[in-house]
Amino acid sequence: MAEQLIQTVIIGLSNGLIYALVALGYTLVYGIIELINFAHGSVFMLGSMIAFTLLVAVGVSPGMPVGEIALLVIIVLGVTMALTATLNVAIERVAYRPLRNAPRLAPLIAAIGMDFVLQNVGLLWKGPANLGFPDVIPNANVLTTVLGLDTGISITYKQIFAVAVTVPLLVVLTWFVSKTRQGKAMRATAQDPDTAGLMGINVDRTIAITFIIAGALAGAAGLVQILYNNTTVWSLGFRFGLNAFTSAVLGGIGNLKGAVLGGIVLGLINAFSDRYLAAQWTNAIVFGVLIAILVFRPTGILGQQLADRA
Amino acid sequence: VSSLITPVERGQTGGVSAWTAHVLNSAMSWPDAYRSALRERRGRTILLTVLVILVFTYPLINRYALQPFSRNVFPLPVPDDTTVVFMLIFAAMAVGLNIVIGFAGLLDLGYVAFYALGAYTAAYLMSPHWGSFGVSLVLFSDVPPNFPGIHLPFFIVFWLAAVVAAVFGALLGAPTLRLRGDYLAIVTLGFGEIVPVFFKNLVNVHFELGPIKLVNANLTGGPLGINPIDAPSVLGIKMGVISGFNAVYLGLAIVLLCVVIARNLERSRMGRAWMAIREDETAAEMMGVNTVRTKLLAFALGASFAGFAGAMQASYQGATTSDFFMFSTSILVVVMIILGGIGNIWGVILGAVVVQYIDKTLLAWAGARLTEIGAATGNPGFRDINPSQFSFLLLGIALVAMMRFRPEGFLPSRQRAAEMHTAPPDQAIGSAALLDDSTGADNLGTPAGDEEAEPATTPDQDEEQSP
Repeated sequence: MAEQLIQTVIIGLSNGLIYALVALGYTLVYGIIELINFAHGSVFMLGSMIAFTLLVAVGVSPGMPVGEIALLVIIVLGVTMALTATLNVAIERVAYRPLRNAPRLAPLIAAIGMDFVLQNVGLLWKGPANLGFPDVIPNANVLTTVLGLDTGISITYKQIFAVAVTVPLLVVLTWFVSKTRQGKAMRATAQDPDTAGLMGINVDRTIAITFIIAGALAGAAGLVQILYNNTTVWSLGFRFGLNAFTSAVLGGIGNLKGAVLGGIVLGLINAFSDRYLAAQWTNAIVFGVLIAILVFRPTGILGQQLADRA
Repeated sequence: VSSLITPVERGQTGGVSAWTAHVLNSAMSWPDAYRSALRERRGRTILLTVLVILVFTYPLINRYALQPFSRNVFPLPVPDDTTVVFMLIFAAMAVGLNIVIGFAGLLDLGYVAFYALGAYTAAYLMSPHWGSFGVSLVLFSDVPPNFPGIHLPFFIVFWLAAVVAAVFGALLGAPTLRLRGDYLAIVTLGFGEIVPVFFKNLVNVHFELGPIKLVNANLTGGPLGINPIDAPSVLGIKMGVISGFNAVYLGLAIVLLCVVIARNLERSRMGRAWMAIREDETAAEMMGVNTVRTKLLAFALGASFAGFAGAMQASYQGATTSDFFMFSTSILVVVMIILGGIGNIWGVILGAVVVQYIDKTLLAWAGARLTEIGAATGNPGFRDINPSQFSFLLLGIALVAMMRFRPEGFLPSRQRAAEMHTAPPDQAIGSAALLDDSTGADNLGTPAGDEEAEPATTPDQDEEQSP
């Protein structure tokens, strides 16, 4: 019983970290231009397809030596992040930037339209079927095989991999936003774009950089999705994106640590619902949580004053 | 709200009998009204007359004049009866969602939930579904008596479906309408996702409360949905999917009903309150508009139109399953409104007709032509292109392009067009002090260590004064 509980927590934590990567994309963009970037889930989906294609292209396969796999995966990670960052900034340029002074409804609808475009790009590119990728990173239990413990709890190499990719990215992002000059420009723009512009900050460039970061994180999440969950499909982005958005709202949208915390909490909710309730109800529960938060505490767990907006 | 209406107007809301007299009066005097309209606005009246005649004779023309020749004579394909019925079902929904988005300015992304609720209400009240619970109730229906399940006539079920949808609209609205803008969009989206999940999964329910005891009860038909559902019938004339164009007239009647209701709402005191809220909620509230009640009514009334549409869908097709009610359907209706012309009833109907036509008729036709070209040229590559699968790609591109180049749609309402081109200062992106009042350095937009952040509600003076 206790083992089952711990196991559920471990699964929830590692899934939650992937949610967190995508949730950060929502939170960054919402923080800076107050747009729910509906297309973000599909950027993640395309990221997973790009990662899939690249991994197949460089010939990563389960039999390879560990060092070689690690090297190739790092290269693929970099290329995927660069491509999704480019994609995301292109979306901003084409769909959102011209609408910067339009009513709030306009960019939101443009984002929904963009989401459909990206989904269909995925559909046309890879077809309607699920893409499966083999277990390059073994699914073996580290606790029993390496540490030789006699336990029913399992922590797999894959889970360690997911943590090893996400945590450094989260640390770097936090450092970037809170310590660098560009991060300061982002915070200033988020607070008041007009004044930031008057202070000599290039607002367009700062917003573009925010989209680049969000896109890169979505790409990283896409690679983790392929190597950790071993599958992708054109419609993956919508559900996953909604989960990630829920995470962002859960933690308090616009708040970076909140997005990570929200992702982890949502991962846990998902894992517990799958385990102790039934998987087919998990979506209803996630949305129920989302509605409950927005209604009762729109500022999220870590939240901030959103009284005017929400 | 009282400041919004004049005493004379208030005097006119004089109960059912006065209303009936008013309706009869206007029905009797329409030839006079028509003549004077013909005198005063000749071109417009003639155009409208032709349009109405065309719409009501279309099913006949379609069956006897267009369908037999469509491939040879006309450059573009003619929609079949089922497509036309769905154009009308979606037109009813577009008119309803237009109340929510177009009039009141509330973005509802879960409208499909109310469509589903309407459809399942009809399915419950017009099918053998409850037969397995030992229920048999046949009232004024052409089903034989003692037939298992509940069988009520369509024209009662139709209204009940609207009531159920409206009640759920109010239930969802009550706690959520305090939220603004995109937060409301997300909550409605979540609701739209939850409702079909319930319809899909409530298959073996165990429930015990006092005398009520359910064991392994199949409440919703699960993934298979509910069928067969009785076809709508008037005076013994069946109007289901197998009865040809009869159903088109039923659909037309439903759309007409929706248009009349929406048109009257738009011009009522409530309609003016909706528009006031849409333009500036705070100002509307200051003027005495009860914003929560007004928004709630927009939500519930808008939802009831989806109830009509759902009842029609279930009864017309004779089956309903949770798979009909996906997020993409909500978006489809939003697209119809945006393309057609947000805020304008005729615009959104045009949007519904055009989008359905492209989605159901034009793309399938294009696919068939491509296959023919492939066969004629001996190039099998053409056969593998299936334009129907591009429909959402096209809709997506249309949404993005419309927002950029013509955000008010093709047939906009004048007022709405003006709004879509110039944002009120406090609504433009990034201008509100959303992230002002935060405390952690990890918050975007927080000057680190700023302990005296201003409250988020403080309006930005400069922007308030700019025109």
